[in-house]
Amino acid sequence: MSKHHIPEAHGGHPNVTPLIDVVMVLIVFFMLVAKIGVSTGADTKIKVPASILGTDIKDMGNVLFLNVTPQTKESDVPIVTANVKNASGATERAELKLQNATGQNEVVNTLKFFRFGKDLKRGGTNENADNDNFQVVIRGDFEMHYAVLEPVLIACAEAAVKTVNFNTAKKMEEAPASSH
Amino acid sequence: MKMKGAKAVHYESGPNMTPLVDVVMVILIFLMLAGQFGGAEHYLASNMPLVKGGSGGEPGNSVSIDEPVEIRVDSTSPDHFVARGNTINATDGAALYGQLQALRARMGAALKAAGKKESDISVKIAPGRSVRFQHVVTVQEAAMRAGFEKIGFASAH
Repeated sequence: MSKHHIPEAHGGHPNVTPLIDVVMVLIVFFMLVAKIGVSTGADTKIKVPASILGTDIKDMGNVLFLNVTPQTKESDVPIVTANVKNASGATERAELKLQNATGQNEVVNTLKFFRFGKDLKRGGTNENADNDNFQVVIRGDFEMHYAVLEPVLIACAEAAVKTVNFNTAKKMEEAPASSH
Repeated sequence: MKMKGAKAVHYESGPNMTPLVDVVMVILIFLMLAGQFGGAEHYLASNMPLVKGGSGGEPGNSVSIDEPVEIRVDSTSPDHFVARGNTINATDGAALYGQLQALRARMGAALKAAGKKESDISVKIAPGRSVRFQHVVTVQEAAMRAGFEKIGFASAH
């Protein structure tokens, strides 16, 4: 059986074959791992709280990110934004008002839409079918007060969302203090 | 005498790889810059986001296996909190974790004696209005680390 050898460089021309091999492997790796053009609606400007524990969500198709920030630093009034479809059908991040001009809670209605379908009620088929696997991810500022978060949790409870996740930053476990 | 001519210039007989390498490098740099890897974040899940019934008065010291463990969280200053509840009094996540672990061990023994499962124990976190989100997460994380599976939140007090 004949053995393949790396071809030798000729007359000052470097052999680029190993370079191309490595670069191609890197490209395939990045294409598989990188999420390009996939927007979850998460507001990356929000500084989320840190935690040691945490899990990954595998099925991002059933997840709605709610970005929660206070109106001002000391305010207890939340601003909630999420990826929703606009009038033209395109998905974009928009503010959901807890009480709009007509008195409707847009957060509850949006959650019910994802949870129960177009009719916003339990039961139904096709576009009105319930989605029991629907989850919410709350991406909140680590400094905001619980009073800001509470209306969003109430909205989740009203829409019968079964799982609510808090988006947190990974924190390394603190080493125990030395006894010496 | 045989004259040696100038050495012939050797050209690669294969295809010219330079444009390929250029394009491949551009693609590689694009993928490295445009990709979102999200490796620095994760999620704390709660299967019972809001527990009905807010936090009333001060929680007692008795340990009941039929009622949820209530942890009342108050803010002592913007950067500090105190968590109190059934035999719990802690001002940081590590101390709270230790106390909750001990509480769970005691409750687990009582549950076993009553023929119930440890997973039946639920925890109700009742933060004050001005408690920071970071502290709420710290308390939830301590409860999760202590092995409690059902963790919910009460209305703000």
